[in-house]
Amino acid sequence: MLMPLDMLTAGEWAEVEEVTGQPAWVGRLAELGIRQGCRLQVVQPGSPCLLNVSGCKLCLRGGECSQILVRPVVG
Amino acid sequence: MQTATLTVALVGNPNAGKSTLFNALSGLRQRVGNYPGVTVEMKKGKFVAGGADADLIDLPGTYSLAARSPDEMVAVDLLLGRRPEEPRPSVVVSIVDATNLDRHLYLTSQLLDLGVPVVVAVNMIDAAKAQGLAIDYAKLGAAIGAPVVPIQANNGTGVPELTKLIRAAVDGGARPHGPAFPPAFEEAVGQFQKELSDEVPAFLVRRLILDVGGYTEQWLVERHGERLKAMLAAARDRLAAAGHAVPGVEARARFNWVKAAIAAAVTKPAVRPVTWTDRIDAVLAHRLWGTLVFLTVMFLMFQSIFLWAKPLMDLIDGGRESVAKAVEGAMASGPLRALVADGVIKGAGSVLVFLPQIMILFGFIAVLEDCGYMARAAFLMDRLMSRCGLSGKSFIPMLSSVACAVPGIMATRVIENRRDRLATILVSPLMSCSARLPVYVLLIGAFVAKPGSPGWLPGLVLFAMYMIGFTVAPLVALGLRRTLLRGAPPVFVMELPAYRRPKLTSVLRRMFGAGWAFTFRAGTIILAAMIVVWALLYFPHTDANGESYPERIERAEDAAKENADRLKELKEKGDAATEEEKAELAKLEDAAALPDRLNGEWKRRSALGRAGLWMEPAFKPLGWDWKIGVGVMASFPAREVIVGTFGLLYDVGDVDPKAVGDQSADDEAKEKAAGLTKAVQDDWSKDPVRGRYGVPVALSIMVFFALCCQCAATLATIWRETKSVAWPVFTFVYMTALAYLGATATFQLGKLIVG
Repeated sequence: MLMPLDMLTAGEWAEVEEVTGQPAWVGRLAELGIRQGCRLQVVQPGSPCLLNVSGCKLCLRGGECSQILVRPVVG
Repeated sequence: MQTATLTVALVGNPNAGKSTLFNALSGLRQRVGNYPGVTVEMKKGKFVAGGADADLIDLPGTYSLAARSPDEMVAVDLLLGRRPEEPRPSVVVSIVDATNLDRHLYLTSQLLDLGVPVVVAVNMIDAAKAQGLAIDYAKLGAAIGAPVVPIQANNGTGVPELTKLIRAAVDGGARPHGPAFPPAFEEAVGQFQKELSDEVPAFLVRRLILDVGGYTEQWLVERHGERLKAMLAAARDRLAAAGHAVPGVEARARFNWVKAAIAAAVTKPAVRPVTWTDRIDAVLAHRLWGTLVFLTVMFLMFQSIFLWAKPLMDLIDGGRESVAKAVEGAMASGPLRALVADGVIKGAGSVLVFLPQIMILFGFIAVLEDCGYMARAAFLMDRLMSRCGLSGKSFIPMLSSVACAVPGIMATRVIENRRDRLATILVSPLMSCSARLPVYVLLIGAFVAKPGSPGWLPGLVLFAMYMIGFTVAPLVALGLRRTLLRGAPPVFVMELPAYRRPKLTSVLRRMFGAGWAFTFRAGTIILAAMIVVWALLYFPHTDANGESYPERIERAEDAAKENADRLKELKEKGDAATEEEKAELAKLEDAAALPDRLNGEWKRRSALGRAGLWMEPAFKPLGWDWKIGVGVMASFPAREVIVGTFGLLYDVGDVDPKAVGDQSADDEAKEKAAGLTKAVQDDWSKDPVRGRYGVPVALSIMVFFALCCQCAATLATIWRETKSVAWPVFTFVYMTALAYLGATATFQLGKLIVG
């Protein structure tokens, strides 16, 4: 089941299915490790939210989170 | 260009430990290199690599070489040898974080495309060990096709091996290459390379195709016109049709390459252990607890800035006074002595007084940034700041500006988004800085805190003055983001690095670096401004009869000094004095006040005084007379000047601005300060406008000071930080206009209410 990242709750894990939006933005997120196929955990939901992407913490705003489509997985 | 020395470039993600490695390699032999036209600073140092001298260049931390702005392009151009000031690096050192190789090796893969030898330094091996990561460095090197060396930059482990490898890489001259891209992409690269000729290096041709709307695209389209733009769109369409759409094709190619390298060389524990950083963040990044901790940290920070800086500031101030006195004693009276004593020593000295505050603030910022807390603070404050079109990173600079806008503006360097950074720089001077306090205290003391008025009123007015800054600054920022600095809302994505113990040497380096920059660069400009204002208040220095004011004042002072004892004696007698003695007392008191009166007359006839009289109509809507106008105009280089200027204009002599409202000031200074309050009250009571509307006039002056950018140091700092004269001019114009309108509105409203 696909859903935007900002619908996940604290502690949930997900796999990124697609990052939409401006190519420059998609490229920037890919450099930071958020790209198709990567696993991440929502540490703190909301705006800005706190994510754990392969051991490193990133924060994003809500609007940007909604452009990331994920598939929830069991951590 | 020298060929004897090597040039080594240090490249890595932010927080990879780049600066620590830079310091470990080059020690104290370093300087900051500035690049024309951009706000990029690169540190340069020297070290010895296998017996050969090497120049080391520390590039700004970056996640990728996909340049999106001229600032980011400087690093890429430098690596390609396209900057005229620097030779092309002979070796690139790619520093990566052992605990986060997945992401850091992405940049390494781009560096391998540059066509120069690359040495990979894997940093923070201790933390990796603690997390249970096992890395086979030989296998890693084989997988990525470049030498790899494990290091622990903060204690120097592995640094000698690194320098040996750097030397070996130069001598070997092996040209590495990055991950392979699909053949369809290479075909497109070949096509564009033919079109653009060899003048554009292959690396940039690849970036041209990959970075949609990137800097390389903007630059080449501008040069080659619409044809290239159409060609580029067609090529990208073809790639998309073949299943290799940009920018996804790059991420896929590079990350698959990184994944393969890590699979070959790294063994990870099955479950990622919970680190200290995770535990600390559970509190410090928590919305409620984290915010409380943040507020406490900020309070302690500003409290210590005031507490710790005060003795040092007093020391500098005292030194300044005694130097001025020594100069006055040693030189013959005349314009030259006045220039050196009043203009140079007192003027430039008044700037140096802020040095301790700036160094302490930067010490705090360095500690908070080095340990990783600053990113948490920005994270917590982002929600608030996003409402006014800024990001969390703008919060610390704006809060710092409450102490002084100069370090506040310097602290905006942490904001990468250019529009965000500019908006923050332009509104920071609106925050009520410590230099405004003497003005508020003087005017509140004279017109608000009158006997009979409620005791809470002065505090409330002072609070209101600070609130003006706190409310107007975000509003102006919002206005700027919607007009001049319009652009997509800044994409706010930020890494929260792992907590680390700050290093004393790097903190000290930051403090002294900031102090040095402040003293020398802002200092030279404010010095020039002070000399100009001093001259405008000094010349012409002769009265209607052609007699020199300084000489007349000196004579009057000597006469007053001679009669000082007699005056004291007569004063002590009080009511017991005879009529004759009373007459003598009045005469002597008059003579004692003569120097100050002459001073006032001189100021009135000076160039600035005449300008004030001429401009009086412009001050009328604000409820000001020429004296207030002159005081305000004289305080444009530094706002504290108004207290002293009022002292001269209202004929009470030189008033020390610090004595206003300062209980610890010595009695004489306090008496003079109290005298100024009284003199202003007396002077205004004789005037039909200010007599009736004293409170609205005082408020209008305060509002003007709250909103106006009367600080040459701030403007000079904006100039330096934005590398453009346009922005300080803009700041000055908009703030002066805002101040004029605000003060007019205050006076007119106040007049209606009192009316």
